[in-house]
Amino acid sequence: MTRRTTLIRAVSEVLAWWAALAVLWLVFITTVDALELVVGAGVALVGAVAARAARRAVDAE
Amino acid sequence: MNGWTVTATAALAGGGAAVVWGVATGPLRRRVIAQNLSTTLFCSALLLLAQGYGRPSYVDIALVLALLGPVGTLVFARLLAEDLDEDPPRARALTWRAVGFGAAVVLAACVATGPGRAMAKLLVTGALLIGGTLVASRALAHGMPKGEDRHG
Repeated sequence: MTRRTTLIRAVSEVLAWWAALAVLWLVFITTVDALELVVGAGVALVGAVAARAARRAVDAE
Repeated sequence: MNGWTVTATAALAGGGAAVVWGVATGPLRRRVIAQNLSTTLFCSALLLLAQGYGRPSYVDIALVLALLGPVGTLVFARLLAEDLDEDPPRARALTWRAVGFGAAVVLAACVATGPGRAMAKLLVTGALLIGGTLVASRALAHGMPKGEDRHG
């Protein structure tokens, strides 16, 4: 696997996690406004990176 | 007082007393089951109180409890694995009854809330609660997967 395909896979996995977590955030908040969306997008990205790291750690066993 | 708070009070008084009694007395297999089902009970009660008092923030507490409760039970299942192996806890009927109660509460709350984001949140909470209870109950009854201990 080339470095390019590895990168594309990594980015698409993080994006998939991010989308799922951002939807979860949208469902859980009470009022949808700009600040909530910005914070949600931010923490969803942190969560997505952590989720990919956790998934890789489990797979590596 | 309304139907929600009456049901929550009955669940907390009856079920809460049973859970505390189960956790505090008897053999280990009974204690871990009572500990596992306490999550199901208190989470359902919180969902009922959220409806009864009109405080949606109670659903947040129920959500966190539904996530962390079964994780706590899994920690017990892992740490007490040897003792549980000798005397495995099996309470299929009781577990399904508690899960049924939780499902009924989530369903009733969903009907009362109506379609929307709040209902999706309730469904996520219910899925975590029911799935978590069943997974933790299964781990208690059948033991945790035994891999090689890589850390020692």
